[in-house]
Amino acid sequence: MTQTGDRHLDPAVDYPLSSRRPDLLHTPTGKHIEDLTLDAVVAGDLSPLDLRIAPDTLLMQAEIADGAGRWQLAENFRRAAEMTEIPDERVLAMYNALRPNASTGQELADLADELEREYSAGRTAALVREAADVYGRRNLLAAADD
Amino acid sequence: MTSTETGRPERTAEITEKGPAERGEREDEVVLGISPAFCSFFTKTISNIPLAEVLREVMAGVEEQGVSLRIVRVKDSSDLAKIAHRAARLSGSGIGVGILSRGTSMIHQKDLAKLSNLELFPQAPLLTPETFRAIGSNAAQYAKGESPAPVPVQNDFMARPRYQAKAALLHLKETEMIEPDGGIVELDVSIRRAGS
Amino acid sequence: MTSTDRPAQNRRSTRTEIIEARPIQLDGFVEEWPEVGMIAMESPYDPEPSIRVEDGVIVEMDGRERSDFDFLDQFIADHAIDISAAEEAMALDAQEIAARVVDPRVPRQDILHLTRGLTPAKLLDVVESMNVVEIMMAMQKMRARRTPANQAHSTSARDNPVQVAADAAEAALRGFAELETTLGIVRYAPLVAIALQVGGQTGRGGVITQCALEEATELELGMRGITAYAETISVYGTESVFVDGDDTPWSKAFLASAYASRGIKMRFTSGTGSEVQMGNAEGKSMLYLEIRCIQVAKGAGVQGLQNGSISCIGVPGAVPSGIRAVAAENLVASMLDLECASGNDQSFSHSPMRRTARTMPQLLPGTDFVVSGYSGVPNADNMFAGSNWDPEDYDDWNTIQRDLKVDGGLRHVAEKEVLAVRGKAIRALQAVFAGLDLPPITDEEVDAGIYAHGSEELPERDVLEDLKAAKGVMDRGITGLDLVAALEKGGFRDVAENLLHVLRQRVSGDLLQTSAILDGDFSVRSAINDANDYAGPGTGYRPSGERWEEMKRLRHVLSASNPEQEVE
Repeated sequence: MTQTGDRHLDPAVDYPLSSRRPDLLHTPTGKHIEDLTLDAVVAGDLSPLDLRIAPDTLLMQAEIADGAGRWQLAENFRRAAEMTEIPDERVLAMYNALRPNASTGQELADLADELEREYSAGRTAALVREAADVYGRRNLLAAADD
Repeated sequence: MTSTETGRPERTAEITEKGPAERGEREDEVVLGISPAFCSFFTKTISNIPLAEVLREVMAGVEEQGVSLRIVRVKDSSDLAKIAHRAARLSGSGIGVGILSRGTSMIHQKDLAKLSNLELFPQAPLLTPETFRAIGSNAAQYAKGESPAPVPVQNDFMARPRYQAKAALLHLKETEMIEPDGGIVELDVSIRRAGS
Repeated sequence: MTSTDRPAQNRRSTRTEIIEARPIQLDGFVEEWPEVGMIAMESPYDPEPSIRVEDGVIVEMDGRERSDFDFLDQFIADHAIDISAAEEAMALDAQEIAARVVDPRVPRQDILHLTRGLTPAKLLDVVESMNVVEIMMAMQKMRARRTPANQAHSTSARDNPVQVAADAAEAALRGFAELETTLGIVRYAPLVAIALQVGGQTGRGGVITQCALEEATELELGMRGITAYAETISVYGTESVFVDGDDTPWSKAFLASAYASRGIKMRFTSGTGSEVQMGNAEGKSMLYLEIRCIQVAKGAGVQGLQNGSISCIGVPGAVPSGIRAVAAENLVASMLDLECASGNDQSFSHSPMRRTARTMPQLLPGTDFVVSGYSGVPNADNMFAGSNWDPEDYDDWNTIQRDLKVDGGLRHVAEKEVLAVRGKAIRALQAVFAGLDLPPITDEEVDAGIYAHGSEELPERDVLEDLKAAKGVMDRGITGLDLVAALEKGGFRDVAENLLHVLRQRVSGDLLQTSAILDGDFSVRSAINDANDYAGPGTGYRPSGERWEEMKRLRHVLSASNPEQEVE
């Protein structure tokens, strides 16, 4: 994951990225945003993966949100950047695991470990660990079977 | 128009408690579970159908199918799914009906998850005496192992402005009437016309 | 009064009889019962504001110790409140804060520096000190986006995709920036969501669409690019009701990031009355609990919130000051710098006067989406159980905009344009269904759909075949890209381009920023590049130029040059 710190995006100057800074926009498959044309669709040159947001783009949007004074929104985008790598089905399963009374404390601890290990998703893992702690205190963990 | 406006004397229900409800042995029975304040604090549904009338229609609907009906009061909950599911678990056939004082009703089966159901009638204001008879009839048919067509329900997008807050108020009041240690009691119910 | 003045029993005046026959009498009203939370605001049982911070952690909030925090308290304390701003902000008198919020000379940014440090009870005190005009004054300044917008519902009582496509196209043409659908039969969702998308992009390229479903399914349709944003991510103000909804603030925060990770815009939904409706308000007022919801949304880092009671509007609507509370909850969302899609989206009253009055606190100051579900189909076809506004009210809405010179996002469109766009939308959908091997749309359906008001005027579809095909759409992994290709192949290159533009937006992430919509030329307009700059008379958004000329047009306006004719 590249760092965006040296770009110094200014919300007043660089947003919207799609019109002001298209030079910075690439898909996770390495295509440039301006390659996403109807002719490319018709030619069968585009796959759904080409219409995904890249983690780097989410970090840029986080920088813009921070610049506009919206730190929670920026934090959300940073978690999202981590989650771009997680397959759709796994994202849905993780969400279901975070529902109340759906997971044991151990299962949530394992989920947090997986996020860190498999996806370098430290911020998201921290959210899951925090949830496990609160769920424990508020009696919202599933009972362990064994 | 409510039955109080028809000029005929209203039906009344005489209810006596017979003691803790027990699981039935007969396979040809349906158990009806009524809520804590049904025919006690409350006398009519959200749309003013007398609760005695509701009982009579459900009783008639079940009996018309040649199935017998036991009526119990769930005193410790105002949660419809809980009431209907408990009635189903007490029923020899495994089929139970739950009705809240405001009229909201559910047909349940003992082997289903509590939050599931066979038929749910969430829009209490749109239920008529005929609907309650059909609910009794369908419950009896399920008890006989048949698969009746679900009771048709109406939809009315103006029910919300008229009834939503009243429904909330009735639910809060019913919840206030809960007896936490009251359990489930079996009832003896007889329906009379006033004055007769 | 003497005994001779006493009216005869049962005899009523003619006037009373006339008043009794008015539609307002069909509305439900109840007395307050604050002990169980049947009170809109100003409850004696709401907590007093307080905050205590130790070592950078909030250890007491609104009279409750950290060890007693429920999960909302903890989430709000740890994620929503900016501790660096809290001490200064909490030390100010609530009425003083309110005065600054209302005062046009105090910039919006200065207000945000205060509100980010306030607890739920303090925010409650601030808005409780305002009357409804002050709430509107404050909303005018505090809404995030400078230009107001509007959102429509496009649904069908028969889940008929043909109807949804035609009404979506008409709604887009009339000016709605967002379109939302939902289902009677949930399994129909893929076909109806496709119809909404195709219809929307035919009516006006750049309109964005969503399909309200259970959380996980809604996310899946979004991931595939069949829908463009999501809204029905519900949050609640008490822990027990939140858990009944099978979620927690942490699961919802995770979901918010999941959407952003796919470049999809989303907002949460909440509203006054839901907790007392479910019987678990914990003795707190509707507005206090709603403020907790708004702060959960803030803490989760979601860009916006749909609130304004929404599906529970009958509850605050039945108690004193309930509609003022609804206006206040919209304001609190804006005071916390969230996009606010401000309700007015559910059947609210039998009285046309009351329906209109209920919308004024949002329409007059303007909000990010004045109506978050103006029914683009007759209310009988509205699968959200009816809206406060429907197509029969289109000209009333347009006239109110023109009378008061306020921008409610809509415009009058001549019938021939409406019919043209409805026909094109259905034919485009016909091409997509053919291209994707879905059950055909007949020419008879096209013709009926163009001229229909409601679903009963359309030929019935083979529901079982449609449901089978809907399942196929999911099983075959159909995505937005397949829709683009089918549109192009079917000869609808312009609609295909429009949809591709919308899909491309997720690569840039620009729509993820607060209050973002897409203009006619696909340029993004959000609280960043179209930030609200209201600072008193003569400033901020005011209809002008082309837009004002457009707003002047109605169905019947006499020509000044030839009063025997109407203006075209």
